[in-house]
Amino acid sequence: MAADARKWLKVRIISMMVVFMVLFVALISRAFQLQILSSQSLKTMAQRQHTASLTMQPDRGIIYDRNGEKLAITVLADSVCSDPSRITNAAAVSAKVAQILNLDRKSVHQKISAPRNFSWLARRISPEQADQIRQADIEGIFLIKEPKRFYPNGPLGAHLLGFVGADNSGLEGLEYKYEDVLKENAQSLAWVRDAKGKKLFLRAEQTETQNKESLNLVLTIDNRIQYLVETHLKEAVEARGAKGGIAIVMNPKTGEILALANEKAFNPNDISGLSPNSWRNRAVTDAFDPGSTFKPFLVAAALEEKVVRESDRIFCEDGSLTVADRTIREANHKRHGYLSVKDILKYSSNIGSVKIAQKLGKEKYFRYIENFGFGARTGIELPGEAAGILRPAQNWTSVDTAAIAFGQGISVTAIQLIAAMSAIANNGVLMKPYIVRGLTDKENNPVKMNEPEIVRQVISPETARRMTRMLTQVVAAEDGTGKNAYIANVAVAGKTGTAQKFDFARNVYSSDRVRTSFIGFFPADNPQVSILVILDEPQTDKWGGVAAAPVFKNIGEQILNCFETNISRTQIVKADVSDRVNLISAQNDHIRSSSFAADDSEMPDFTGLTIRQALRKAKANSIDLKVSGSGWAIRQYPQAGAPLGSARVCKVFFESGY
Amino acid sequence: MLVSKTERSNLHSIDWALLAIVLSICVIGIINIYSAGYTFSAAEKQLPFYIKQIQWVLLGMIAMTITYFIDYRFIVKGAYVIYGICVAFLLLVYFVGYTMHGSQRWLSLGGFAFQPSEPMKLALILFLARYFEDHKSVKPYKLRELVVPLFFVLVPFALILKQPDLGTAMILILVSASVIFFLGVNWKSFIIAFSGFLLSVPVVWHFLKDYQKERLIIFFNPERDPLGAGYHIIQSMIAVGSGGLFGKGFLNGTQTQLKFLPEQQTDFVFSVFAEEWGFVGGFILILLLMILIFWCLKIALHARDLSGTVIAFGIVALFSWQIFINIGMVLGVLPVVGIPLPFLSYGGSAMISFMAATGLLMNINARRFILHE
Repeated sequence: MAADARKWLKVRIISMMVVFMVLFVALISRAFQLQILSSQSLKTMAQRQHTASLTMQPDRGIIYDRNGEKLAITVLADSVCSDPSRITNAAAVSAKVAQILNLDRKSVHQKISAPRNFSWLARRISPEQADQIRQADIEGIFLIKEPKRFYPNGPLGAHLLGFVGADNSGLEGLEYKYEDVLKENAQSLAWVRDAKGKKLFLRAEQTETQNKESLNLVLTIDNRIQYLVETHLKEAVEARGAKGGIAIVMNPKTGEILALANEKAFNPNDISGLSPNSWRNRAVTDAFDPGSTFKPFLVAAALEEKVVRESDRIFCEDGSLTVADRTIREANHKRHGYLSVKDILKYSSNIGSVKIAQKLGKEKYFRYIENFGFGARTGIELPGEAAGILRPAQNWTSVDTAAIAFGQGISVTAIQLIAAMSAIANNGVLMKPYIVRGLTDKENNPVKMNEPEIVRQVISPETARRMTRMLTQVVAAEDGTGKNAYIANVAVAGKTGTAQKFDFARNVYSSDRVRTSFIGFFPADNPQVSILVILDEPQTDKWGGVAAAPVFKNIGEQILNCFETNISRTQIVKADVSDRVNLISAQNDHIRSSSFAADDSEMPDFTGLTIRQALRKAKANSIDLKVSGSGWAIRQYPQAGAPLGSARVCKVFFESGY
Repeated sequence: MLVSKTERSNLHSIDWALLAIVLSICVIGIINIYSAGYTFSAAEKQLPFYIKQIQWVLLGMIAMTITYFIDYRFIVKGAYVIYGICVAFLLLVYFVGYTMHGSQRWLSLGGFAFQPSEPMKLALILFLARYFEDHKSVKPYKLRELVVPLFFVLVPFALILKQPDLGTAMILILVSASVIFFLGVNWKSFIIAFSGFLLSVPVVWHFLKDYQKERLIIFFNPERDPLGAGYHIIQSMIAVGSGGLFGKGFLNGTQTQLKFLPEQQTDFVFSVFAEEWGFVGGFILILLLMILIFWCLKIALHARDLSGTVIAFGIVALFSWQIFINIGMVLGVLPVVGIPLPFLSYGGSAMISFMAATGLLMNINARRFILHE
């Protein structure tokens, strides 16, 4: 080649080099743009593509009694899901599954032949159904565990514990009050999926770490005392034909509630068909006239103020005293002449009490009532606590003062009453009643412990001792009103009470509808336990000493026999955590996030719901519900998933599962 | 005849640098294909792609040895025959070829799928070298002088377009045009040819299959159909972009391993690489390809004769266009057309012809000092 041509060639080659250089730089700048400048947004897109998240039902803290017995736990219930991509014979599978789960075959068929990799078929089925599914061992149909709240002791402590709703959040009692503590944030698990939505595996590093772990609740309640209290209360309520009853056992020195029972009890595992009234914890939510159980606080105030002494004799007007326009009589129309202050308590003389109150004066009386904690919430960790009604002294008429002297015209709660009585037992020191000993973490290491809290010194220790001595006579004396509460070999201090219920219809105190009660503590010289028993409208033995005192006695005797008053602050037992919910199991390999939205055009699934929940759901779907039975819905017709026509009616059969 | 005595000493000047560049790109390709096929289920009863790619590289090296040792002038002499054989193969494809993914591109050769359009690219370059060697001109070529070679370009072009394989057909045009332009074209002729090309666009459009039209439309607006035709572009961009600066690491590319990336061992290998090795890895790979191109240009510059220059430059054009179009496509700046990335994409026919091309380059390089006989 000629030199000229070669030079010309060189020019062309070099210019090509420049062109290629430009093109390569263009490629690199584009790569830079994608990989550096837009990297973040593309990373997010990639992330979104290959991760699927599954929101797990959160775990919920356990509620323990003081000894580590489980009162409320979370168990795992089976839910059925399917991986349609692995189902070959959809017709046969849907027939089988629908038969086991009592579902509509067509809707099952539809779900398992949908072009998805995951769908729920039924949530929280019964163990029997789960067994059948497991035994059927159908390819593409599998079970996953979902948490469900369970109260192993059934109705035990139900009013304290409360219960949770369908979404596992606390609706009543401690479950409600401690929702924030017990609840765990819903955990979102990240799963990795491939382009076909298969081959899922857990990607732990992307799983949202919970910013909040649930804590366990350790109560002051002693499971065993709670049990015997409930048993005796129930027995008494039934024997006396009472409408209901309340019993509280408290440690007077600390304010710890050892047992708290309401009758009728209910089963928090199954709240269907119950009205809110039945789960109201009346020991804290209801205020009532205390009746004669209130007299010790008057006497204590009078002693403390040195208005009277135990032996001072007071004329009891032979059973009839007129204050302003009202005539005050003794219970059972008894007639007393002169009674010592001690005997006024022993015989529970109304007139004697009125006279002491008159001597004390309403202002001082009011101050003591207030100091004993009435008229204000105790602050116990239970929802819906009432403060009671304590009108200011300046508004009291002479009749009011007289009535309040024997516990009428004032309303108090049971928890206030036992706390006040415990103050007498505790050398005059009012303790704040509490029910939660502390919070523990998942390994049951204490996170927060509640210590006994002194509210105030209400009366002097000396006055308290003198009161105790007098109250012991109420029980110990042959003719004492509280003699039915007598426990052999133990000095019991106590006071009966029978308050006439106010008849709002006639605007007078009813003579036959009464609330009979007994409140006391023992051993008198070193009180360990104070107990309050209230029976609401007993049909027989209306007077406190007869109906409520034996319940006190029975409870007291058993506490003494069984526990030898070993109810001091024991170490919290380390609970077994091995049965804790462990959701991240290999079984969940096929889960993909999926929301299970009810289609408006098909019959919703009512099974597993309570009547209340079913009705709510039916209403939301404008379906008329025909309810049969009670408890949990077990069957329905038409079955879930059936197409909804113009007749939107569903018959649902309920059965009590527990 | 093959190796004359006077030449023997020159053959010691094997272009080791070129060999090293090509082989290192091949090794990167094999490693990358290993990753691309890493999560394929073991149940698939065939050899893993990377093993097969190793076999193709070895076969390619045999082809390279052959094209190296046979004097390229001898090869140029047989260029028309080679061209004829390749066209015959394309005709064979047209009649008895078998179809995959809706296009008839392959011949079944003893169990292997052979794609004649790959060696056709090389054959066309050889054809052009021979033609312009025979029709040397000091002045730029006029259109009239180019009618004959253009006809021989259009024959395989039409056959390949018919398969249909728009990408490869386009490469034939681009490579030929580059070679002719490089040799020098009369300005007037160029303008006429270019206008002719523009006029032919609607005609070609008319002959395009629907999916090809769709791809071109989608290219300008991939979001229009993110799960359909736009899927490739979007997935590729996501894979590349999510790699970031340093990448997700070998075998850790989520989009690759979870199969979000389509055609990941063939046309979209670069996405796999860019996802796992990041911008830095991609940059180095592009740099390596650039060095390859420049090295080949140097060979073209120093070739002893015009046919050597044309062959070398033709191969440069072939490599370059395939690299630009493939990476451009992967990076979402060019439409999706099925063009493999030289030495990196999985595929036997392409690998063997690219290795043969490399052998030719070394051949031209080794014989650059030999005087005219």
